[in-house]
Amino acid sequence: MRRLLSVFPCFLYILCLLCSAQSTAAAPPGQMAPDFSLPATDGKPVKLSDMRGKWVVLEWVNPGCPYVQKHYVSKNMQALQKESGGRGVVWLAVNSTNPSHHDYLKPAKMGEWMKAQGGAPRATLMDEFGDAGRAYSARTTPQMIVVSPEGRVVYNGAIDDRRSVSPEDIKGARNHVRAALDESLAGKPVSVASTTPYGCSVKY
Amino acid sequence: MKAMIRTLCLAAAALLTAPCGAAPVRTDNVEAELVARDLALAPGRSAVVGLRLKHDPQWHTYWINPGDSGMPTTLQWKLPPGTRAGPIQWPAPKRIPLPPMMNHGYEGEIVLPVEITLPADWPAGQQARLAARAEWLICKDVCIPGGAELTLDMPVLAANSAPDPKWKALFDAAFAAMPGGKVPGAEATTAGGVITLKLAGVKPLAGREAYVLAGVEGLVESAAPQIIRQEGDTTVITLAVTSNLSYTEPRISGIAVGFAERALSFEGPLVGKLTAGKGMDDPAAKGVPARPAAGSAGAEDLSLVLALLFAFGGGLILNLMPCVFPILSLKVLGFARGGGTVAMRANGLSFAAGVVLSFLALAGVLIALRAAGEAVGWGFQLQSPPVVTSLALLFFALGLNLSGVFEFQSLLPQSLASATLKHPTADAFLSGVLAAVIASPCTAPFMGAALGYAVMQGPWAALAVFGALGAGMAAPYVLLAWFPAWLKRLPRPGPWLARFKQFLAFPMYATVVWLAWVLSLQVGPDSIIWLGAAMVLIGMGAWMISQAGGAVWRLGAVAAIACGLVAAWPGNEVAADPSSTRQNGWVAWAESDIGALNAAGTPVFVDFTAAWCVTCQVNKKVVLETRPVREAFAAKSVRLMRADWTRRDPAITAALNAFGRNGVPVYVLYAPGKAPVILPEILSERIIIDALKAL
Repeated sequence: MRRLLSVFPCFLYILCLLCSAQSTAAAPPGQMAPDFSLPATDGKPVKLSDMRGKWVVLEWVNPGCPYVQKHYVSKNMQALQKESGGRGVVWLAVNSTNPSHHDYLKPAKMGEWMKAQGGAPRATLMDEFGDAGRAYSARTTPQMIVVSPEGRVVYNGAIDDRRSVSPEDIKGARNHVRAALDESLAGKPVSVASTTPYGCSVKY
Repeated sequence: MKAMIRTLCLAAAALLTAPCGAAPVRTDNVEAELVARDLALAPGRSAVVGLRLKHDPQWHTYWINPGDSGMPTTLQWKLPPGTRAGPIQWPAPKRIPLPPMMNHGYEGEIVLPVEITLPADWPAGQQARLAARAEWLICKDVCIPGGAELTLDMPVLAANSAPDPKWKALFDAAFAAMPGGKVPGAEATTAGGVITLKLAGVKPLAGREAYVLAGVEGLVESAAPQIIRQEGDTTVITLAVTSNLSYTEPRISGIAVGFAERALSFEGPLVGKLTAGKGMDDPAAKGVPARPAAGSAGAEDLSLVLALLFAFGGGLILNLMPCVFPILSLKVLGFARGGGTVAMRANGLSFAAGVVLSFLALAGVLIALRAAGEAVGWGFQLQSPPVVTSLALLFFALGLNLSGVFEFQSLLPQSLASATLKHPTADAFLSGVLAAVIASPCTAPFMGAALGYAVMQGPWAALAVFGALGAGMAAPYVLLAWFPAWLKRLPRPGPWLARFKQFLAFPMYATVVWLAWVLSLQVGPDSIIWLGAAMVLIGMGAWMISQAGGAVWRLGAVAAIACGLVAAWPGNEVAADPSSTRQNGWVAWAESDIGALNAAGTPVFVDFTAAWCVTCQVNKKVVLETRPVREAFAAKSVRLMRADWTRRDPAITAALNAFGRNGVPVYVLYAPGKAPVILPEILSERIIIDALKAL
């Protein structure tokens, strides 16, 4: 028993070393996309590195934000999600809202909202501690990140180039995500890789 | 009749053509209005008008560079022909932190001035109607896009007119907040995601916080700390480039605050290759330090089986903790008394059931509270003064019982007393419950990671881990109850038993002293007098009970005990006295300072502790405050921070959660340029010294 007790501190130390793992910095275009494992709204964990070999779009979302509503009420985001899915792109919606914020929706409710909107992401992920958001320096909702099959960020920024809440501005705007995917899938480098995202702040 | 109608029509016409100056438009959380600085405009001369915004408390709109989110206020003018309007002249904004991000904007009542020039050939006496569509984004913790169609009708006079007394103060404040001059020389270079800005001929004012705000979006990381140093009469400021770089001009401009009474504007070339910075999470560049990522190793990688094993081990160890040991003593006495084999096994299982079910109930409460959005962590029950008071009084009473002041049998009427004796099983169950409640905050080694894992993995995992903890704690007694042969190794009852029982009162009293200390920290020193008075009254009540007297004695006893309970009921928690946390070189934990300290090369050591956590107090006494350790800290100029979780503190709970922990102690060493290192829960001088050597 005494031997066992003396070994415990060693286990503890190893445990603590595991606990103090590195956190990776943000993800401007050109950098490797930080890996994460987050639970989807159905509870199943989704790991980014499992999507290697496919193009991935990360969409930061918060149903309570008027800028997000602009793109969902107009069905713009859903259309983009379906279109990208059809091209073999994995679309992951991420909600980094802190559970103590009043925009927070429980996973089941968040899942229902996405379904009710007719959204078609591969999964809607709950980032309640905000660690994935911080790892990507997600500042606003919406904020869009496109990741290459090798795991590199090729676009990080706003969804389009018209900062407003009115759906009328969607039609004439340049959709940076669609453009990035068009260029990438055609084997070309992304011409506009980094823009200032617009939207409400992510509610960490 | 005709005369009356004519009068009415004239009156109506007069009302319609009266110079109405716009009534303020009240929309979501703000009042908006076009106002003019002067009482009238003049043809061919420029005058100052402005957009007046009166924000509801805590709501804000944005500056031209709104920061990490938001949108600057805009004005689209509809002006009479030949009239020109200049751009918005922006007063210096307020920095509005939104950790881990930063916005720049305005709160309260402000005006955004605009210069208007009427054409020189403006017909004399004709009013000018200025109209604009104003659009903004107004936010508190949520954002509401807003806008209004505003008009302002101004008389036009030949000569300059006097300022409008209604708005003079507002315009004066706006102009005072605008940059009052230019920095004599500004230039910047950039490399590796960092901008080095040199402001020549300026120095930060003594005692003022000096910083710069970029006047453009998509260039500077707004929340990152700015490192300022002096090179002769030039101030050199290091800024982080934003990770969402969208600005590509070879120029930099903005305002510098804290270098003169008024803000200064600066503008200059930006030389070098602009590359994106590391963003919000760069430990060297941001205001809030990095935490181990949720998906990284640590609490989440702990498989359920491993967590259960650790929980079981933790439970076993809990039996030895000073706050549990006195309760343990009661059970040892119970076993030593012997009884039938079946009865003993039943008691053992009953005790185990009491412990396990109590831990499950605590887990259930924790899960329910978290689901309800409360920021609670393990040990929360001892953060509540009424709970601490109740436990202190209960343990005092139990100590009196052990000391022989009264017996439990004399507490109850004869029939009930024998009933209790007939159900030692129930008695065992209750002992188990008590043991669990008092053991909970003594977060034994192992329990930190296992509990953190449990709570984050969801209700079933949490219940399983807490159940394993309870099983571990009860295991020794179940074993003893099952194998009475082992009990035979224990000495037989004899005179030694009475002495042992009386001796065990002392750990009980020691626990009461510790709880009294915890209470004094929570409610203030005055609580001691009330708790002490209650203990005296309860002691007297206990003595009165033991005097085999009649109803009068019993009544007196009840009265004494009741008075004691009322006297002891604690008041509200007293706000923490900041000076009290500055002891022996330890300062109060301030998470936002850690990044800045690291950026300046100072390591930070944070001790997450609580008064009711015995492991924490032991580590403090035996390791943290010894001479070798203090000297090691001083040698590396480590800033020592104490995060005191004795009272409920959601900020500390959130910080603990981010480390995958749900209880204290947690020891974190933040080294400049490295990820934070979490040290073990049982410290030793060697561990600290080795960790510091690695800096």
